[in-house]
Amino acid sequence: MTVSATWLIWISTSLILLLSTRNPIYILLTLTSLFLLGGKISLKKEQPNWTKQNLRFLITTIILSTLVNILFAHTGQTLLFILPENWPLIGGSITLESLVYGAVNGLVIGALYLVFNILNLVLSVKQITRLIPNAFRPISIMITISLTFFPSIQRRAREIREAQMIRGNKMKGVSDWLPIIIPLIVTSLENAFMLSESLTARGFYSKSSTNISNLNLIALVFAVFAVFAGWIFRLYNYPVVISVILYSLGIISIIFIFIIAGKQVNVTHYHQEVWHPRDIIFVGLSFIIAGAMIGLIRTDCLSSFIYSPYPNLSFPEISVFGFILSAVPGIPLIFISHD
Amino acid sequence: MVSLILVLCLILLLFETQSSLLDSKLIAFLGVLIAINAGLRFLENALPGPAGVSPIFFLIILTGYFFGSRIGFLMGAMTMFVSGLITGGVGPWLPGQMITAGWLGQSSALLKPLVQGLKWQHKTEEIIALSIFGAIWGILYGVIMNLWFWPFLGTTPGQTWLQSAGLMESIGRYSAYYIATSLVWDITRSIGNILIIGFLSRPMLRIFERFEKRFSFIIVET
Amino acid sequence: MINLQDVSIQYPESPSPVLDKVNLEIQPGTLNLVTGASGSGKSTLLRCINGLIPHFSGGKIGGKINVFGRNPITAGPADLAKIVGFVFQDPEAQFVYDVVEDEIVFMMENTGTSRPTMQARLDDVCQKLGLESIRMKKIQNLSGGEKQLVAIASVLVGLPQVVILDEPTSQLDPQTADLLLRIVVKLKKEFDLTILIAEHRLERLLPYTDQMIHIPEQGPLQIGPPEEILQNMSLVPPIVEIARKYKISPPPIRISDFPNVTIDTAASRKNVNRNPEKNQKTPLLKVNDLSVRFGTQPILNCINLALNQGEILTLMGPNSAGKTTLLRAILGLNASKGEIHLFGELINDKSLNPVISNIAYLPQNPNDLLFAETILDELHITLKNHSQNINDDEITKFLKFFNLEDKQNHYPRDLSVGERQRTALAAITIHDPPIIFLDEPTRGLDYANKKTLAERLISWRKTGKAILVVTHDIEFAAQLADRVAILEKGEIIFSGSPTKAFTQFPAYQTQTARLFPGTNWIIPDDLTLLND
Repeated sequence: MTVSATWLIWISTSLILLLSTRNPIYILLTLTSLFLLGGKISLKKEQPNWTKQNLRFLITTIILSTLVNILFAHTGQTLLFILPENWPLIGGSITLESLVYGAVNGLVIGALYLVFNILNLVLSVKQITRLIPNAFRPISIMITISLTFFPSIQRRAREIREAQMIRGNKMKGVSDWLPIIIPLIVTSLENAFMLSESLTARGFYSKSSTNISNLNLIALVFAVFAVFAGWIFRLYNYPVVISVILYSLGIISIIFIFIIAGKQVNVTHYHQEVWHPRDIIFVGLSFIIAGAMIGLIRTDCLSSFIYSPYPNLSFPEISVFGFILSAVPGIPLIFISHD
Repeated sequence: MVSLILVLCLILLLFETQSSLLDSKLIAFLGVLIAINAGLRFLENALPGPAGVSPIFFLIILTGYFFGSRIGFLMGAMTMFVSGLITGGVGPWLPGQMITAGWLGQSSALLKPLVQGLKWQHKTEEIIALSIFGAIWGILYGVIMNLWFWPFLGTTPGQTWLQSAGLMESIGRYSAYYIATSLVWDITRSIGNILIIGFLSRPMLRIFERFEKRFSFIIVET
Repeated sequence: MINLQDVSIQYPESPSPVLDKVNLEIQPGTLNLVTGASGSGKSTLLRCINGLIPHFSGGKIGGKINVFGRNPITAGPADLAKIVGFVFQDPEAQFVYDVVEDEIVFMMENTGTSRPTMQARLDDVCQKLGLESIRMKKIQNLSGGEKQLVAIASVLVGLPQVVILDEPTSQLDPQTADLLLRIVVKLKKEFDLTILIAEHRLERLLPYTDQMIHIPEQGPLQIGPPEEILQNMSLVPPIVEIARKYKISPPPIRISDFPNVTIDTAASRKNVNRNPEKNQKTPLLKVNDLSVRFGTQPILNCINLALNQGEILTLMGPNSAGKTTLLRAILGLNASKGEIHLFGELINDKSLNPVISNIAYLPQNPNDLLFAETILDELHITLKNHSQNINDDEITKFLKFFNLEDKQNHYPRDLSVGERQRTALAAITIHDPPIIFLDEPTRGLDYANKKTLAERLISWRKTGKAILVVTHDIEFAAQLADRVAILEKGEIIFSGSPTKAFTQFPAYQTQTARLFPGTNWIIPDDLTLLND
């Protein structure tokens, strides 16, 4: 599975799954599959400490989240102990429910972090940059330039530091960094000037505030506002329909605007990502799962996704469907062994 | 959901800045500055200094101050993005970081009319103003960054910040949460900012003055 | 065909025009060499042909320009990019991407070229430039010459009719420069190009030049065939200097074209005394059995070197031989095995202090040192670093020595290339160190600046300083070396007299030596004519 688009689909499905449930069993299951997936990939990419590091992070997050929650949220029935009431804000009952809630929060945050971490492992920087839509080509070129210049700037900084050291600069205080930063920035900016000449001499697209791009901008503003409005309506408990309409309107318009803006930029790409059968299968599978999810939600088979320790601590209910869905983020495991 | 709105706002701001400003000169100019700032962010983890001190604020503030709010926004947001790419840290908090750093750059531009109005240019007062600004943002940055995560932690379910009992109580709860988690870091960051900006701004501003002339121009045809 | 009619260009800040009423005609398929002192207007002339001036850099432009039917003044660089390719001088500052292939296709991607066309052109260009083996490599790992080849490739894919190169070899060593220029000449035929190239190193290009354009400090441009223009230039390659001594006119530009002349064989075999002041050898710096490895890679192997008082030692060798590594190991910047004695004391790499107080180091890029507001400040800073007193009179005298006295309050980075190097040199020697290291100081310098640098180093030698110059500029080294050390593949393969080095090693023979084989002459000044 090497195509960036497939991994994008993977991250979307994983994120949606993670954000739609608080059921600790499911989240633990997802975490396990993520760790397995990440562990396998990180071995391939020669990062042997990956699992350890992320496990550490997960545990830290859980502890932190639990602590914060039990200190600040005082609802729940099962009392663990009581802090004096007159302590500002943290005073009050410390309950088991809030402990569990905090722990679950930590699990979710940790899982989210893992998902992104795996994405970092799997996609190269170049692939990530190429994912930026054509509508944002100037920014993407700017990012590319930064990435290209970065190693030479590091090298240059070292050379300058050494030359100034031999000159007698003792490098003690903040002002001793001046002899390094100033030549570095000046030389880099002079290089930037030459680079921009090179860009221009090769026919690089310069800005043009044409009417179309202005229209695009205005349309984009409205589209974003539509999504925002949809959210506000949802928050104030207006009928779901209004929100759904606004969301769809907004998001479809945004995609449309990007396509139009992208067409304005006359750019082709030399490197094409090669679609393997595995990629196609994975995409197909994702759509099937998405369809299944929608179906299951409508028939209310997924009530087990909603879980709350309050007001009384109870064991979360589990269903077969939930089990299967939680393991979905681990599907790439099947495919990457063939990479 | 909040995250989605966040990302959309970010996209909107970037789109606007791009269509109005970015030509090959600015792309190269900012591209290089961002590479330098990303390098400084690298140092942030490598330097044996107190945790929290962040050298990237300096360039973002000065760029926004000197060149205007939109360039400042780009500088801040893209520094976070590029340094995230380089350090392999594209994470769920990246949009938050990008917007907050973007606001840092954007708001720095507000200092300009203040300094010009009080005729502080090229004087020590200018540097003091910038340093204080850096100190404020040292703390403000932490405050805002934590805000993005607060809904996840420290609230009871069914109570979003909108619906909780009144604004004052929310602020109170948030302050306690904030103090517990990140105030110490933010204070060291502010102090770091004061020092860095204090020492390095004057020469940096002069560099910007010299390069401004080269990077913009007037065509006169006879 | 390119045509300039009465073209004048003036920058907004300067009082007088850089180019004044230039009339120039460039025939298609020709190679045109543009020369002149740094800052004379070469870059400006080149840039007005593809529209970078005035559209990119501003300025007032008058007159008419026609480039193969297009007018750059009205059309602008984006339009001219379709027929003019521009290669810049700094291999570090031209690339958007980090991989060779990506950079080469950048131009085609931007113009929406179809993928099959891109593939075809990419393959063609890579094959013609010999880039096939490095196609997927990262640009930062390539040598300077390879980088410039990539830069040329990235403009050739646009199928231009004109290729302009602005000092493309100034950052390269002679062998690579040679190769690059030979490839440029070959490409002219293969791609049917019209070429404009600005260069200081005339020797290599003169044999292939169809038209030479010389921009003097004052006065109108001199345009014509190379033999004609060379006659009126003051600073010329050694072969032309020698031709003048023998009153051969027009001057031959190829060594094979040089006629046979009679020489006093006996006089030519005499040992030329290059350093009359040198009497006794006091080694200030001794390096014994120095070895450096990076990880498991051996870079330097058992190096033995000595630097004596009142002498100039030139360290030469191919690019990756390890010359800079050796310098850095001596300075304590690289870990090394072996012994380094400074003034008789063993120095280890724990403390840099003995090095700091005794050795001045001019890095490959002297701009790395300049950060203060004025030249005076730069000097003050070094003095403060060494806890020495600031004596204004002494400083003024010192600046006079560098010809910078009247610019002491100028911003160093606004100065010309030569002035900046002099400022950096002044800044590192103000505290009067006995030893001076220079790393490739002739990069990007024109003949005049090289001459002043050589004179300065020689006068320092007279006062007893020990100077180590890392350089690959053979002619420059021949002018001032007392001893020559050649470093190849991490080992010193030769250490001894310049006469031997520059006559007996084929890769290091000066033009003079090649013109007069079997003699001890290595620079034009060595010549004793028959009827002297």
